Amino acid sequence: MNASFLKLSRELRAIWMLLLVSVILFIATPLFLTGPNLLNVLLASSVTVLLASGQTFVILLGEIDLSVGAVLALSGTTTAIVLQSQPLAVGLAAGLGVGALGGLINGLLVTKLRMPSFIATLASTSAFAGLALFITQGNPVGVKNAGFLAIGQGRPLTVPMPVWIILIVVAAFGFLLARTRFGRYIYATGDNPEASRLSGIKVHRTTILAFVISGVLASLAGFVLTARLGTAQPTAGNGLELAAIAAVIIGGTSLAGGRGALIGTFIGAILLGVIDNGLNLLDVSPFLQGVVKGLVILFAVFLDRNSDLIRGLWQLVRPARKQATPTRNIDDGPANGSPDPQVPTPSIIIRK
Amino acid sequence: MIIELRDIRKSFSGTEVLSGINLAVKGGEVVALVGENGAGKSTLTRIISGAHAPDSGSIVIDGAEADLKHPQDAMDLGIHVIYQEFLHNIFPQLTVAENLFTLDKSAEFGRLFVNKKKMSRQARTVMETIGLHADPNALAQTLSVAELQMLEIVKSLGHNIRMLILDEPTAALDEQESERLFEQVASLRGAGICVVYISHRLEEVFRISDRVVVLRNGKVALEGRTEQLTERDVVSAMVGREVDDFYPKERHTRDEVVLSVRGAGSGDRFSDIDLEVHAGEVLGIGGVFGCGKGDVLRALFGLLPLTGGEVFLAGQRLPVTNPQGAIAAGIAYITPDRQAEGLCLQQSVSDNISLASLHSFSPTGLMQRRPEMTSTEEVISGLRIRTPSPGTDVGHLSGGNQQKVLFGRWVLTKPKLLLMEEPTRGVDIGAKTEIYRIINEQAAQGVAVILVSSDLPELVAMSDRVVVMRQGGLVAELRGADLNQQKLLEHALESSV
Repeated sequence: MNASFLKLSRELRAIWMLLLVSVILFIATPLFLTGPNLLNVLLASSVTVLLASGQTFVILLGEIDLSVGAVLALSGTTTAIVLQSQPLAVGLAAGLGVGALGGLINGLLVTKLRMPSFIATLASTSAFAGLALFITQGNPVGVKNAGFLAIGQGRPLTVPMPVWIILIVVAAFGFLLARTRFGRYIYATGDNPEASRLSGIKVHRTTILAFVISGVLASLAGFVLTARLGTAQPTAGNGLELAAIAAVIIGGTSLAGGRGALIGTFIGAILLGVIDNGLNLLDVSPFLQGVVKGLVILFAVFLDRNSDLIRGLWQLVRPARKQATPTRNIDDGPANGSPDPQVPTPSIIIRK
Repeated sequence: MIIELRDIRKSFSGTEVLSGINLAVKGGEVVALVGENGAGKSTLTRIISGAHAPDSGSIVIDGAEADLKHPQDAMDLGIHVIYQEFLHNIFPQLTVAENLFTLDKSAEFGRLFVNKKKMSRQARTVMETIGLHADPNALAQTLSVAELQMLEIVKSLGHNIRMLILDEPTAALDEQESERLFEQVASLRGAGICVVYISHRLEEVFRISDRVVVLRNGKVALEGRTEQLTERDVVSAMVGREVDDFYPKERHTRDEVVLSVRGAGSGDRFSDIDLEVHAGEVLGIGGVFGCGKGDVLRALFGLLPLTGGEVFLAGQRLPVTNPQGAIAAGIAYITPDRQAEGLCLQQSVSDNISLASLHSFSPTGLMQRRPEMTSTEEVISGLRIRTPSPGTDVGHLSGGNQQKVLFGRWVLTKPKLLLMEEPTRGVDIGAKTEIYRIINEQAAQGVAVILVSSDLPELVAMSDRVVVMRQGGLVAELRGADLNQQKLLEHALESSV
């Protein structure tokens, strides 16, 4: 591992964006760097963190789950309805069951029916969102269960419950990815499914489980959102999947699969939260906030795609720095006979 | 036409790839350009074809200095390259004729609407000049790799071609297709075109070239008329030292039978296969492309269903139906295409090596990293895999080291039966010999090995015994004095009765 910060692994690159934005906000407003405000940022980001954590598993496989917002709404409304007549445990089980079942359906569509995940989850989004509207007849469902409301509104040790939840989820699922056999399966399958299958990995099972994890974390996000608001809205999830996917991408996970880490996703989600928070503190029109977030996403992806360019610029600025010895030319040269991995293979252009 | 390269130099990020190349080639000759990976062949090719500019030196064509700024400049001068990755230039969803007359060429067939009939008629005419009999209206994706390669050659022929550079053209071809290509090369030479032929396969080099140029470390290490050189001269020049034993074959066959296959068949891919492989034995399977040799390995590994017959491994009857079962039974399979179905290129060397043995490092599901690191580091040093660290991404290693990582993955599973298909494809000579040593070491430990390879010298030299397949059936078994390339080809090609 090179100590140079520019070589920081891609999963952690978003941290520089986060620091940059934070410093700007710190200079711009004294309200930003205060304990209560930072807790607020975490609290406001909690739903995105949960959705994006599940999404990370799916994107690491090179797939995508567009249905997380709809699953959130369906499980939130289901739980709210069940809680009207049943105790807390039954309500939670129902909600988590809905999430797991939704994920299972997505996973089966993608593996057994070989549907592209984009199409499969686009269709299931429509179905889940429709179901949420149907079971509520389009009306919000209020929740009175105090135990349930504590999930969103409790403050053990003065820290809001959702913040505890996301810290535990990120730690636990980060551990699952980084330190378990299942985590290896995810990375290997996302990188090269055929090689993984030939190495004895049950690729279908791995994929299905990733979608189930995404569904279960989406239903957990549904609990947090419902409990914070005190009501379950059938349309609560609209558009949330995009924020989740954005957080994963900003966090350095490759859309092609095989590369990324949950900590990156966490940073990505917090970065989006900080931007929201900062724009509010600076009194920027809420209508403009989407534009700013879009630009930040573009900039994060630009940094990722052009890290060589940025490294080059950095070396121009710091000519005294020794050029890094290229890692290629090990033994008998680079792979595939390509003389230089940075130089793309030219294709023959047929003209005239 | 004479193309002269004068003192060509080129560096990439501080590393000199070409350090002063002087070379002259002329029309009507076939020049073989050989060298290990990283010797500078590809860079030189790209400079001649205008894809890279040299740092210094000049390219002189027929006495006039040429300034090649762009591949188009080279093409205008009649210099064409067919890269190994030529498939990137094919539009799979367009027809053969459309591929042939891409871009502004199609203007010849009508301004607003393309006259498809005229286009396909002309395509057929052009293709037949070099003996490509493909339907001009078929989608390009329905053609074989060999036909598509021919199509690329046809494309370049239309451009007053004077020099054709072929980069590893036989890498994806079978024996018969290669033969056809050699005929094409000969007829291009006859037409006064200069053919630069880049290949790892010395057999081909000696068969078709007039002159051999060996590159090593960015310099011309040897240049001479082909008939005045021996394979040994060329190999020594490539690796930079005397090579006495290119195929370090050792014999380790023991009495005990590890694998016994009786009457095995799989659909219409192969049938009635009887095989016995002993501990420590290397059994080669020969045969032309499509004879079913690879399918036998895939069936043994549980990737194809057996529709008849029985398989016994160490005396136990096996119902292997998937790779998990095969691995559990002690079977390992080194796939022919290490990039597509072998390695996870973005994962580390260490993670790739442990991939098929994850269960033994995670009895509870949690990865035990210390034993994993110890084992993978042992494999890295045992197989002499050259990598900056076990954590380096496999994609950053050279082809030969990537292949050794793939071997490492399967060696770590401690197999009883090691299946391998094209184990040295796209690997340079130094690494090849090291891979042969790995095969020896495995055999010495009593592993039964089945080797499938289209590299005939390798197959003959590294096998204790070779069975030949034709059209899905076994036709011959060669051993001892009978085990030579001539006999092998006779049995493999003999037309069916």
